[in-house]
Amino acid sequence: MSTEIKFKSPGFFERLKGMLGVDFYRLFHTPMFYIFLGIAAVIPALILGTQGTDGASILYTNTWQIIAADTPLYAVSSIAEYANMNMVFIFGGIMVSIFIGHDYKSGYVKQLFTTHSKKKDYMMSKSLVCAFAMACMCITYTIGATGAGLVAGTSFAVNAGSLLIAIVSKMILSLGWASLYTFLNVIFRRYFGISIVSSFLIGTGLPILAVGMILGNASGSVLNLFLYGASVFACLSANPVTLLVCTAVSVIWAVIYNTAGSIVLARSDVY
Amino acid sequence: MNAIEIRNLSKSFRGLHAVDGLNMTVPVGSIYGFIGENGSGKSTTEKLICGHLVPSGGSIRLFGKSYKDAGVRVRVGALIENTGCFPNSSVWDNLMMQAINLGITNRQEEIDKVLKIVRMEDSARMKFKKCSLGMKQRIGIAMALLGDPALLILDEPINGLDTDGMRIMREILVDITENYGCTVLISSHILGELEKIATHYGIIRQGKMVQELSAKEMEGRCRSYTSLKTGDMQAAERVLRARYADVRREEGFLRVYDVEDTEGIVGHLLQNGHAVSEIQKNRIGLEEYYIELMSGRGA
Repeated sequence: MSTEIKFKSPGFFERLKGMLGVDFYRLFHTPMFYIFLGIAAVIPALILGTQGTDGASILYTNTWQIIAADTPLYAVSSIAEYANMNMVFIFGGIMVSIFIGHDYKSGYVKQLFTTHSKKKDYMMSKSLVCAFAMACMCITYTIGATGAGLVAGTSFAVNAGSLLIAIVSKMILSLGWASLYTFLNVIFRRYFGISIVSSFLIGTGLPILAVGMILGNASGSVLNLFLYGASVFACLSANPVTLLVCTAVSVIWAVIYNTAGSIVLARSDVY
Repeated sequence: MNAIEIRNLSKSFRGLHAVDGLNMTVPVGSIYGFIGENGSGKSTTEKLICGHLVPSGGSIRLFGKSYKDAGVRVRVGALIENTGCFPNSSVWDNLMMQAINLGITNRQEEIDKVLKIVRMEDSARMKFKKCSLGMKQRIGIAMALLGDPALLILDEPINGLDTDGMRIMREILVDITENYGCTVLISSHILGELEKIATHYGIIRQGKMVQELSAKEMEGRCRSYTSLKTGDMQAAERVLRARYADVRREEGFLRVYDVEDTEGIVGHLLQNGHAVSEIQKNRIGLEEYYIELMSGRGA
């Protein structure tokens, strides 16, 4: 510390670097991240590993169906058509709620905003770090599914390119989902419970599922414009177009939610 | 240049004016004692300066620049209401996160330095939730001290501390002002403690600044008085009133204000047949001055 007063304004990237640094430090230093990675690995293993036991019907004949359906199914008719890697986005929502909720509960957010951090830095940093966490969950989910498939003896036959595109697309979609959850948690920042419930409900894709049930799977081209629709679109028959669509949807929604969240934060009191 | 310059600042919550046209000037290098009763708008003002709340009107300038200027903000540290630490993280981790956020390059050194200033070197690895209140307050100060702050904003930092804790906090604040050139805005209800360190005062009531003055000016305004007891207080009061301008009966004592000559008072009473059983020479401190000002009697 010195007695001379000098003021040097940190630029946007400098600020964002600082904020990202804090969020990554927190992510890697709290057990929550590892617990969620574990949950993402265990869930497919449990579903795949326990199917058919006690005379219950076989839900998945192919290991990769636990990652995504063979074709985009917006109108699901069974749990098997619904329960796949998209579940990561539900757990991810809860994780984001806890992550951001702790910022407010502990009062740490005050420390952030007392200093040079801008509201848009906060939105971007949280979205990026949580997207990274969800993308990691997609990886552990894949590992869990593979392990469970080996144990359960289900088929591994698949178009490897399509599978890879589907997984990568879902990982890219994490950015859009994380931005959505960050936005929701900023809106409900004073109500931790509502943040979690809203994230969970949105993460289940219920609104899109409802539209899909009414309009049928033919409504896909419209539903793909939304995060849940695009997540369904990233299936085992995915192709490069799928990747492009998912990237565009993810980035566009990330920009929309980040902008909206920044405006909300800038125009309202921190707590 | 002033560290803080506030003009006509307002903040309303659902139509209720928490801060109402407030003006405030905090000189660079001062320890500014911000005084007011509960709900007078102290914390709201501090939160507005820190950018936690959006003002309804008015302007805030820090070191001559807009309070939103990132260059200024990076040199502001605050401890408002709580320390803003993650309870399950260690003291070290909490400080590290703030250091990363501030873009400090020599983080380890900087953390060691602030821990030394607040005398917490041995507790760095402790989980924050395991720390005592006094330790938590000191950690809050350490957090605020990271990044070479030019301005520290502290909301009731000595609340709940024991005598020793208050002394340590007092020494820390004087140390950082004198040795590190930091300006400190501090609000507190413990006026006796504030009086020991503040160089300037601001007294706020119902969201408005009632008075701003330096410690020197305060010294000039604080009056001295002699308290005494006699056998017949009523008669003695009459005798004293006949000679001295300001004589009051307060808290079971007769008080003669602004008279330095105590011997003369005693002699005058004795001449009139009143023996003095108890006598004390006092000076109105910050606390009494504040009470008088609030009751509309003083200053």
